[in-house]
Amino acid sequence: MSLLSVVNLRKNYGENKVLRGVNFVMEEGERVVVLGPSGSGKSTFLRSINRLEEPTSGDVYFNGTLITDKNIRKMRQDIGMVFQHFNLINNLTIMDNLILAPVKLKLMKRDEAIKRAKQLLRHIGLSDKADAFPASLSGGQKQRIAIIRAMMMRPKLLLFDEPTSALDPESIGEVMSLIRELADDGMTIMIVTHEMSFAREIATRVVFIDEGKIIEEGEPEIFFSHPKTPRVREFLEKVL
Amino acid sequence: MDGFFNKIGELFSTPEYINSLLHGFLLTLQIAYFAILMGLLLGTVIALIQTAKKSKLMILPKFICNLYVTIIRGTPMALQLFIMFFVIFAVRGFPQIIIAIIAFGLNSGAYVSEVIRGGILSVDKGQTEAGLALGLSRTTIFFRIVTPQAIKNIIPALGNEMTTVIKETAIVSMVGMYDLNMAAKDIGSGQNMASYIVPMVVAALFYLATIYLITFAVKQVEKSLRKSDLRVEK
Ligand SMILES: Nc1ncnc2c1ncn2[C@@H]1O[C@H](COP(=O)(O)OP(=O)(O)OP(=O)(O)O)[C@@H](O)[C@H]1O
Ligand SMILES: [Mg+2]
Repeated sequence: MSLLSVVNLRKNYGENKVLRGVNFVMEEGERVVVLGPSGSGKSTFLRSINRLEEPTSGDVYFNGTLITDKNIRKMRQDIGMVFQHFNLINNLTIMDNLILAPVKLKLMKRDEAIKRAKQLLRHIGLSDKADAFPASLSGGQKQRIAIIRAMMMRPKLLLFDEPTSALDPESIGEVMSLIRELADDGMTIMIVTHEMSFAREIATRVVFIDEGKIIEEGEPEIFFSHPKTPRVREFLEKVL
Repeated sequence: MDGFFNKIGELFSTPEYINSLLHGFLLTLQIAYFAILMGLLLGTVIALIQTAKKSKLMILPKFICNLYVTIIRGTPMALQLFIMFFVIFAVRGFPQIIIAIIAFGLNSGAYVSEVIRGGILSVDKGQTEAGLALGLSRTTIFFRIVTPQAIKNIIPALGNEMTTVIKETAIVSMVGMYDLNMAAKDIGSGQNMASYIVPMVVAALFYLATIYLITFAVKQVEKSLRKSDLRVEK
């Protein structure tokens, strides 16, 4: 049984057909990098998986269960998401950002959650920020907090939508090494990124979306050095 | 000038005048107080409906709220008051103060809803999405994430709306109610002091003091909200 399977997923915004039938299967332990030109539907694809966007039609199965409006909240607990703009909660301290969901959803007792949060903070070298508010952190710090906030839930799948696109070069490195670490620990990851060398390094598989469809996918070595379709060749020429 | 000071002496030494002023002031405060309360309640409900997630169930309530806000904001308060007094509650013996409270409460509700709606919409949507992605319920997101941040944007405008209501209640004198404004006019009239300036200046000072007090209180609340999380300010 696959961890994630997406069947004929379509998403329209009015007349604008953004996803035009996406079929996709992902196994545990895979690290899928999603590439594609701007506006091709990468974000919409990711956001349709955890229903931040309501799909127009098509099915998403997670761990063998069809995701519906009824079970979505339960499903989201196992599907972490990291956003381009971090989306830390401004009125809560870093500690509260980390423990809010696991405590509120009764996945952990409060002191357990605090303990785990402290471990994770120590791990990323930000123990001294536990009582700080998000506004006092740098972009790279915010994004690393956002990543461990997702990890607090012990997700089975972690979705990243351009996690380094809003960062300065120095912070990009910090965030990438944290993602790299998660990868080394065997985390199942789907990531949209424009950082080609990072994509190549971290991916076990690359998926290319163009005009709302997956038009090519494969192992990174083959994908980057021997792209099959002219569209991907053209894209890689531009970005590499 | 002598006359002016004499008149001040006369006003403050005639218990009848003082009584009238205080009665008028009390009525003004009563109308304003209950109208503001009603406006807050109504405005909150309307704002919640207007910002609720779109769904089939919400189409009609959303439509009604929008229509209501449009009508209230698009017509004069004085006309709304007249309609309440002479059309809707044109019943003999119905307590005037209640009609006035309803008229101002309904009016204020529309403006308050705009203030609250603006405050809710000003909270960055990304934080709601982060909450959703973690599996939190919309209720938790609303109370733990959106509301605390919205309140900071809402308080100053809400204070403004309160002072507006207090000042606007002065038009109840148009339907013959004896509020502070009317008291000033009455005391200054021919049968009484036969001079308007002093009672009207005194009435103005009453209004001013009330507005000042409220503005001051709102500033204090704002300050304490900011103090609790200075670092949140962008
Ligand atoms: N909420 C929305 N309402 C209407 N149109 C939308 C909405 N979100 C996205 N779109 C449209 O859907 C298309 C795909 O958007 P999407 O954000 O998925 O692209 P993307 O591949 O992530 O692009 P980028 O690389 O720039 O992030 C775009 O044409 C965009 O304008
Ligand atoms: Mg995108």
